[in-house]
Amino acid sequence: MTEHRLRSRALDALTWTIVVVSLLPIAWMLLSSLRNYSDIAAGEQLVGGLSLRWQNYRDIWVNVDFFNYFRNSLIVCGLTTLISTAVAACAAYALARFRFRGSNAFSLSITVTQVIPGMLFFLPLYMLYRNLGQSFGLVMLDTYHGLVFLYVALFTPASIWIMRGFFVSIPRELEDAAVMDGCSRLGAFVRIVLPISAPGIIATATFVFLLAWDELFFAWVLTSSADVQTIPVGIRLFISQFQHRYDLMMAAGAVSTLPVLAAFFAGQRYFVKGLAAGAVKG
Amino acid sequence: MSAVTLRNIRKDFGADARVINGVDLSIEPGEFVVFVGPSGSGKSTLLRIIAGLESQSDGDLYIGDALANEVPASKRGIAMVFQSYALYPHMTVYENMAFALRMAGSPKAEVLRRVERSAAILQITHLLDRKPKTLSGGQRQRVAIGRAIVREPQVFLFDEPLSNLDAALRQDMRVELSKLHQELRATMVYVTHDQVEAMTLADRIVVFDGGVVQQVGTPTQLYESPSNLFVAGFLGAPKMNFLQGTLSAASASSAEVALPSVGTLRIGADARRGKVGDAVTIGIRPEHVQLGAAGDDDHAELIDAHIDLVEYLGDHLLAHMSVRGVPHALCAKLGGPATALRNGDDARLHLPHAQCLLFDANGVAYPRIR
Repeated sequence: MTEHRLRSRALDALTWTIVVVSLLPIAWMLLSSLRNYSDIAAGEQLVGGLSLRWQNYRDIWVNVDFFNYFRNSLIVCGLTTLISTAVAACAAYALARFRFRGSNAFSLSITVTQVIPGMLFFLPLYMLYRNLGQSFGLVMLDTYHGLVFLYVALFTPASIWIMRGFFVSIPRELEDAAVMDGCSRLGAFVRIVLPISAPGIIATATFVFLLAWDELFFAWVLTSSADVQTIPVGIRLFISQFQHRYDLMMAAGAVSTLPVLAAFFAGQRYFVKGLAAGAVKG
Repeated sequence: MSAVTLRNIRKDFGADARVINGVDLSIEPGEFVVFVGPSGSGKSTLLRIIAGLESQSDGDLYIGDALANEVPASKRGIAMVFQSYALYPHMTVYENMAFALRMAGSPKAEVLRRVERSAAILQITHLLDRKPKTLSGGQRQRVAIGRAIVREPQVFLFDEPLSNLDAALRQDMRVELSKLHQELRATMVYVTHDQVEAMTLADRIVVFDGGVVQQVGTPTQLYESPSNLFVAGFLGAPKMNFLQGTLSAASASSAEVALPSVGTLRIGADARRGKVGDAVTIGIRPEHVQLGAAGDDDHAELIDAHIDLVEYLGDHLLAHMSVRGVPHALCAKLGGPATALRNGDDARLHLPHAQCLLFDANGVAYPRIR
């Protein structure tokens, strides 16, 4: 009994340590976002007691057109989420339900795409985008659709795996019943499978939105004007050649976290369930 | 109500996976037919072919007089109740029951009338606004049946509908299904691996094994005159006892079988197609095995046995016995004074010849003579 209690306490301590370590950067971000630029530059975030500089949160909208980046992020991430989830739903359903020639190879290729680092293909991708614009007039660089196209390609494979777990867990008899009731296969998918899979769809959409919202590398490489650049790029602009405005950067970081938090908490229940279904059934 | 006729139905899954191998069957209008057989025997696949959820590789299916091979599932006039109920979890009971009618474009008033009528038949009117997850297993089963009734189909198909219920509820639902059949007089095809369901519900039972129909008949016919060893062993619990021997005499009214280390038993069977020396199997149901002296039954022989285990089951007991020279244990279903039996006792078995069945080396039964 004592040994059990000791083990339980040790596990509690470990859990809390992980929680604290995970939350520390966020706390540091919030603290830094309310400090003077000079304090941060001197490494004295903890100096200054309770005097909080809320002005930083005003300055990010005034000094830099942060709203512009915010809007760009919402457009890019919203479209990515919509398209990626829709494509993933169809692909995942096909993988979960049908045996077709090449289905195993297709499943494998989906997995393989996830183990190739983006760094490896960013140069050919950049050249492809540039050539599409120069040779075919299809401008992909520095456009919403260029970024959305890439994000859809990047995040759809993982979405397929999450959703596949959901579709596999839905009894096939439900679709048979729908067919007996007068639905076509597509009708059964739309009227029965999709509504039942709402938790999986919400989980996947949340997942894609979070990934797209945080993506910096490709957004930085493929965009050059403020009309298209997203929040991670915008935040990066607070670092200039002569001045590192960490105070504004942290405030911008805190603000940009809000939609992510909102998305996560709105879909938290489904998110956990969705990932679990994918893990167990996938 | 419609007849269902199957002509030489075959179903292959891939090159060497034949699941159904030439089934010919006629189901009369209003008949309650039960498909029974072990897992993988093809009974559920055949039901799905009738439903239109699978297409046969070969053969013809008629519903009524019309060839239904190419008719979509929803146009066959068939409703199906699934093993897992298959209720749509995001819809209320009413919406579940109304779904097929709405898909068919029935007027709202007609949908309401038919759903309410079906709900009244099954006494689930008070559940119409509830979601399936709030219902008990029995209630879900009723809703699933109600969803089928609403469509007023020509043929009802049931795919092991009671297998997810506990024993008590299963018995209640069995009785209700029988009443429902009497009330609707619809053609019903019911798949189960539970022989009690098969025996109690069916007008006729179709026994499947290996994708082949082994026997079709009334429960009494199948129980008392099984056509082969498989049917004899499959129906009845505890299962029939089998003793291997050789034919030592054969006539139109009886056969004599020599059992190694036991002696010779006389069986009431027309064994003229057999030859002396043929390998045969005697079958006798546990409830026909008797203990004690042969008494005045001059058609009985006595066999020495050792009681290995006695199972007391209230109104009767099961005695599991070993007999010298017989590789498998024999089982006797006994009542009355036999309850004095104890494990380890010695006993003498009495196999009334009129209750014994005789099968040839291929497992085919010789005609029974009583």
